[in-house]
Amino acid sequence: MTIRNVRDHGQRFRPRMACLKKVESVVLEMQDPKTGVKSQTQRLVITTIPHALTGEDIVAWIANRFKIDAAEARAMGTMMVAFGYIYPLQDHKRLMLKPDTSLYRFQTPYFWPAQQWPVEDTDYAIYLAKRNIRKKGMLELYEQEQYNNLYKWMNHKWDFIVMQAKEQYRAGKERKKPDRVVFDCQERAYWVVHRPPPGTVSAMDYGHDRMVDPNIEEKKTPDYYRRIIMFTQQCIMRPRVKSSVSIGALVKYTTTYKEHDPFLHACLPSNPWLTDDVTYWTLNMPNVETPTKMRVERWTFSFGELLMDPRGRDDFRLFLKKEFSGENLAFWEACEDLKWGAAETMKEKAQQIYKTFLARGAPRWINIDGKTMDITVKGLAHPHRYVLDAAQTHIYMLMKKDSYGRYLKSPVFKETQKKAIAPEQHRFTETQLEQNAKRRRPSLSPIILRQQEEEQKAKLAASGPVDITQVMSKLERKQTK
Amino acid sequence: MGKDECKTMLDALNKVTACYRHLVIALGSTSDSQNLREELKKTRTKAQELAVANRTKLTSLLKDKGISKDDRAEYERLWVLFTSSVELLEVDMKRSLEIGQDFPLKVPRRHLIQTGMTGSTTTVAARAMSVQNMKYEADANIDTVDLKELETEIAQVDQMMEEMELKVQVAPWTVEAKQEAGAELKSTVSVGNSSVGIISICEEEPKETVEGETGLMKVFAGVIFTAVLLIAGILGYLVINL
Repeated sequence: MTIRNVRDHGQRFRPRMACLKKVESVVLEMQDPKTGVKSQTQRLVITTIPHALTGEDIVAWIANRFKIDAAEARAMGTMMVAFGYIYPLQDHKRLMLKPDTSLYRFQTPYFWPAQQWPVEDTDYAIYLAKRNIRKKGMLELYEQEQYNNLYKWMNHKWDFIVMQAKEQYRAGKERKKPDRVVFDCQERAYWVVHRPPPGTVSAMDYGHDRMVDPNIEEKKTPDYYRRIIMFTQQCIMRPRVKSSVSIGALVKYTTTYKEHDPFLHACLPSNPWLTDDVTYWTLNMPNVETPTKMRVERWTFSFGELLMDPRGRDDFRLFLKKEFSGENLAFWEACEDLKWGAAETMKEKAQQIYKTFLARGAPRWINIDGKTMDITVKGLAHPHRYVLDAAQTHIYMLMKKDSYGRYLKSPVFKETQKKAIAPEQHRFTETQLEQNAKRRRPSLSPIILRQQEEEQKAKLAASGPVDITQVMSKLERKQTK
Repeated sequence: MGKDECKTMLDALNKVTACYRHLVIALGSTSDSQNLREELKKTRTKAQELAVANRTKLTSLLKDKGISKDDRAEYERLWVLFTSSVELLEVDMKRSLEIGQDFPLKVPRRHLIQTGMTGSTTTVAARAMSVQNMKYEADANIDTVDLKELETEIAQVDQMMEEMELKVQVAPWTVEAKQEAGAELKSTVSVGNSSVGIISICEEEPKETVEGETGLMKVFAGVIFTAVLLIAGILGYLVINL
């Protein structure tokens, strides 16, 4: 017995399923004997079954009805197959419309996907049990796994499921042979749509359930109008940019980044989401020794990219250490820490930063202009999260205009560029892809990653920043010698 | 004993629910007809009667405080069986209402879905009603008339389920199934071999024609082999005797 306190009544609405009603009306139009799709008979060994359609007929009908070209009609037909309104008779696992003589058939209304009838696991368990009977225990691998899972967590209902499966199986045998074949095909098609075999893309993925029906009209209450008024007022106040400028910026961005986007360009060595092989992620870990060529190329796009990438920041830090201007980056990092850190340690952090970087005669004194220094010192009397914002921006612009350019021409960067690896594209066969899918493991826990980060930070602090005063005194001592 | 009675009644309810599901699946398709609507109505009424009978029996058994722990566990298991059955029945009734409203039979512009099923469902309904042949005696507009009754019946079943939930405090997750995984394979071993050949047509399409043909071939080969053996036997006998 399911827990019925949550009275469903279809109250949990699935967002992208609002199109189903429209597809249903199209399917109904296709049934018309005069203006609908031409149907043929499917000839099997002993029986013939009517009402089979060829892919090309369906595509032609859709193209004619909606006055669209064949490619779009084919896409629309594939959508209907993916939703489960039409199912293929040959190659039943691939839910797409082939515009040739391959056969399809309409699905019965009970098995149509519907907004208010979610697919129940009980029904799936009964179906698997029936299939088990029919195939004498030889279920497919993924079906067997699902069966075992369902047996474990639906155990309290299992007697019912077995009884019901046997009864449904016997009731099914009461029908004539062609009808039995059709029924089996229908049920199998339904479950291919709603419990897709591994590796298939399902049209039924839809994200979170909503509590509000997306199909109903909203009532025009005073609240509703208040919301509309606020929205339009904000629209008017929005700052406007000339489209030539904004489009120019977009074009520049896309031309720079188009080879770095995994959606638009092949990801080297292979996209883990597609091939289930995590080499890409291991090669691009935050603290990897040798970065990839693509990553290094991204550092040249802008200073922000360099700083945001932890490996890039390390490289930059190394360069600045050689140039003895590491205090800028250290100050910037300390300000970031203050901005994003916990509220309790804020005051101490601000004081620490002042002592280390801003005070006169400080060990790592940074060079900011007088006005900014005034504002910062005044603000430090009552420190808050963003008290060092002005100074941080000044230092950031300094690094960007001065150090960044020199970094890109420096031997440190050139060394990193030379050592960067460019991995080969993976070429997996079907069987290898299946193996990869089976070998999927969860990645490192975030707790462990955080610990690693903390260790890194501690090591960095321990290796000691270059203390200007000590360096100056050393130099003086050398001079006097 | 009370348990055996319960079990037989539950089996009956189960059977009728399974048949009802088969009938609802045929709604809206080309095997839909006035007869199907009448079959649905009859099956539904029978299922409801069985449900009420089961409920009274099981509630009276569960309310009895003086039963042993094992007995109580068994009755709880039967209760879970019963509620799952009634839930399935309720969902099927709601869906049949919806599909019945969407596919009225008399409207000429409204076509039934060409699903390939063209036979009638008389045998399924006969199995549900436990009769040899179904008699059809309803009038010609049963499809519209029946829907109103169906709505009231759904409301009744809903109410019954709510009452059951309140009155009988059985925690379903404490029930352990008696059958293990794969139990359905055992008693259906003797399931007709004739059906296997047909249904395997649906299974592996590339081997579609081959399956049927190799079956026939095997039968042929067997027949020829036995014939040859017989002839060899007869000839040998004649040779020895003559």
